[in-house]
Amino acid sequence: MDVTGLLLRAGATRPHVMIAAMPGATAVRLTAEEQLRRRGWPAALTPADADVLVVAGTAAPDIAQAVEAAWAAVPAPRVRVRATRPDDVAAALDAAQAGLASAADQRRSAATRDPGSHRGHDPGRHEAMSGGHHGHDMGGMAMPAGLPMAGRAEDRDGLKLDQLHVALGPFLPDWPAGLVARLILQGDVVQHAEADAVGLMADAVSFWAEPWRRAAAGEQVTTGTAARRRAAAHLDSLARFLGVAGWADAATAARALRDDTLRGTPASRLGPAVRRFAARVARSRLLAWSTRGMGTLRPDDSAAARAAAAAGGQPPLPAGDVTARYRRWCADLAGLAGLLDDDSLLDSSLLDRSVLDRSVLDRSVLDRSVLAPPRDRGGAGQAPSAVLLAVLPRLLEGAEFAAARLIVASLDPDLDELPARAGTGHGR
Amino acid sequence: MVGSAPLWAVLAVPAVLAVFALTAATADAVLAARAAGQRVTWTVLAAPLAEVPRLLAAQRRTTPAPDALLWRLGLAAIPAAGVLSAVVIPFGHVTVSRMSVGVVWFNAMEVLTWAGVWMAGWGPNSVLSLVGGYRFVAQGLAYELPLMFALICAATGAQSLNAADIAAAQGHLWFAVWMPAAFAVYLVSVYAFSFLGPFAYPAGRDLAGGVAAELSGPDRLMLEAGRWLLLTSGAGMAVPLFLGGGAGPALPPWAWSAVKTLAVLGLLVWGRRRLPVIRADRYAELAWVVLIPLMIAQALAVALVVLTMGGPP
Repeated sequence: MDVTGLLLRAGATRPHVMIAAMPGATAVRLTAEEQLRRRGWPAALTPADADVLVVAGTAAPDIAQAVEAAWAAVPAPRVRVRATRPDDVAAALDAAQAGLASAADQRRSAATRDPGSHRGHDPGRHEAMSGGHHGHDMGGMAMPAGLPMAGRAEDRDGLKLDQLHVALGPFLPDWPAGLVARLILQGDVVQHAEADAVGLMADAVSFWAEPWRRAAAGEQVTTGTAARRRAAAHLDSLARFLGVAGWADAATAARALRDDTLRGTPASRLGPAVRRFAARVARSRLLAWSTRGMGTLRPDDSAAARAAAAAGGQPPLPAGDVTARYRRWCADLAGLAGLLDDDSLLDSSLLDRSVLDRSVLDRSVLDRSVLAPPRDRGGAGQAPSAVLLAVLPRLLEGAEFAAARLIVASLDPDLDELPARAGTGHGR
Repeated sequence: MVGSAPLWAVLAVPAVLAVFALTAATADAVLAARAAGQRVTWTVLAAPLAEVPRLLAAQRRTTPAPDALLWRLGLAAIPAAGVLSAVVIPFGHVTVSRMSVGVVWFNAMEVLTWAGVWMAGWGPNSVLSLVGGYRFVAQGLAYELPLMFALICAATGAQSLNAADIAAAQGHLWFAVWMPAAFAVYLVSVYAFSFLGPFAYPAGRDLAGGVAAELSGPDRLMLEAGRWLLLTSGAGMAVPLFLGGGAGPALPPWAWSAVKTLAVLGLLVWGRRRLPVIRADRYAELAWVVLIPLMIAQALAVALVVLTMGGPP
């Protein structure tokens, strides 16, 4: 009896899948997430728990190494597939399941595997714990496994503690595609942070801003189309935020509503469901209690805000903490729920073309409008998400790890809005 | 009354515990499927069981410069603590170990998970695991004292530390009825020591699995099984401590024990999906400022009732 074959087939009935989402491939990621939900396949939180690695989108050269590192950390039996278009996803997942169940495939894959490759680094592992411009030379000490020891510095209480240099991203659960946060941790407190973008494609455009881009190009776009896209973007952001906050069922509900919104479920059915969901999340006292006071933005925050104020615009980011930010998404959703099937034309005269060319937003008209692109509040000369990235390091410094993850999720920058390779003004 | 157990009962403990744990995990899979809008099929029902061959067939992950001894010891300690804590739980008439300090033993085994989870987090030499391990210690500092007071309330009410005696002392009135705060704190603490549901902080999604972030194959199986065994053991212990043990009309005592255990497990599984994770620093505040004074007041009330009435009501 072929026990290996039996085990492989039993294990492949419900493979755990890790989605490595590339920038510029939001639509592919959404389809992959929807497929997993419908098939009942769990999303793996870490390569160690994955059987299948789905690379969603095209890997730019500067992210390819991270993909390889994630793949190296996936234990056998394993399959890697790639989907560059939403339509490819279902076939890729079917192929992955077949490959997992096939003992012959797995033997071939094991035979070609570099024996040392399983020791790879996953995205959350400490890479280069000391060095670079924060160097702490440890002299000629013998290091375990050739790794340098952590350096030490004073922490917020004046104690000398180890400093760990940790790069978060680009592949973490509920993490914006392409974002890398380079942190110096003491214990689990972030002492220093830099936000960086990797894997940006020169021709990528933001999936979430698409209706507005089309309207600005002179196409006729209905209010309903725009409202659906904005609602779906907020639901996607909320799904990630709730995932990070550890409220799995609410995150699943957000994803299901997001998929229904994009699939065109009639507003008569969808609107009330969206409203109920938004009210349930906004009302949760436990969630508010555990996120209050974190990542507070002041009205005058960041150089970008000051520049915007100087240019006559309003502050680019509304003040408030993490709680205020997710409740704003909920409030927006309640407003959008009534517009999902509105077939009046989106008034393109409301749109400053330059917004959609990733620059200035016409604050007077669009600020706080429920019909603006999802990450509406841009600053002078910058895409909205560039402003979000610019304020990120200051908000992260001093935060504990859990708070840092919630802060990133509550801002949820869309890196597809950034001009490729221009970076963020931080780090590189 | 509660009889002494035959020798085979020692082997039966892990088996019975595993059956209950698997039932709970299956109920959880069904609830998850319904939340995702899936139909409940055989695949869904078999999902927790199908994890076993999947994980047994998977390669074990190694990391650079791990502390392999502590890592494996820690992982083994978690399911071991779950099984060992269950030996003092009376099931109907049968208790495997009728030690006089059963409640203390249960508490001690549950504290064993502190060491287990911390070592499992420390072992792989990885940031996310390590933070997860420390989170459990922080969570422990928050939940442990209220839990101990809850156990003390039940023991004081029955004037015994033997779980079977405590069950027998509830002939007229379940402890859950006249010490509701202790019962509620006990149930919340069951989530905490099995780090599931609102207390999944050490294995949080924000940490990509925390203590489980570097686990694959059999290692992951041990951790996941350990969590569900601890939850089950906690639910099982709630029955003699607060719900009258195997007492009840019509059905035999073992059936009442099973029914009550399943009811508590069902409540815990249902509740775990309805709440976000509570961060340990916030819970510590609540525990020390509100829950500990509340539990002291509860223990005082129990002591006064027992003193004035000469026994439990």
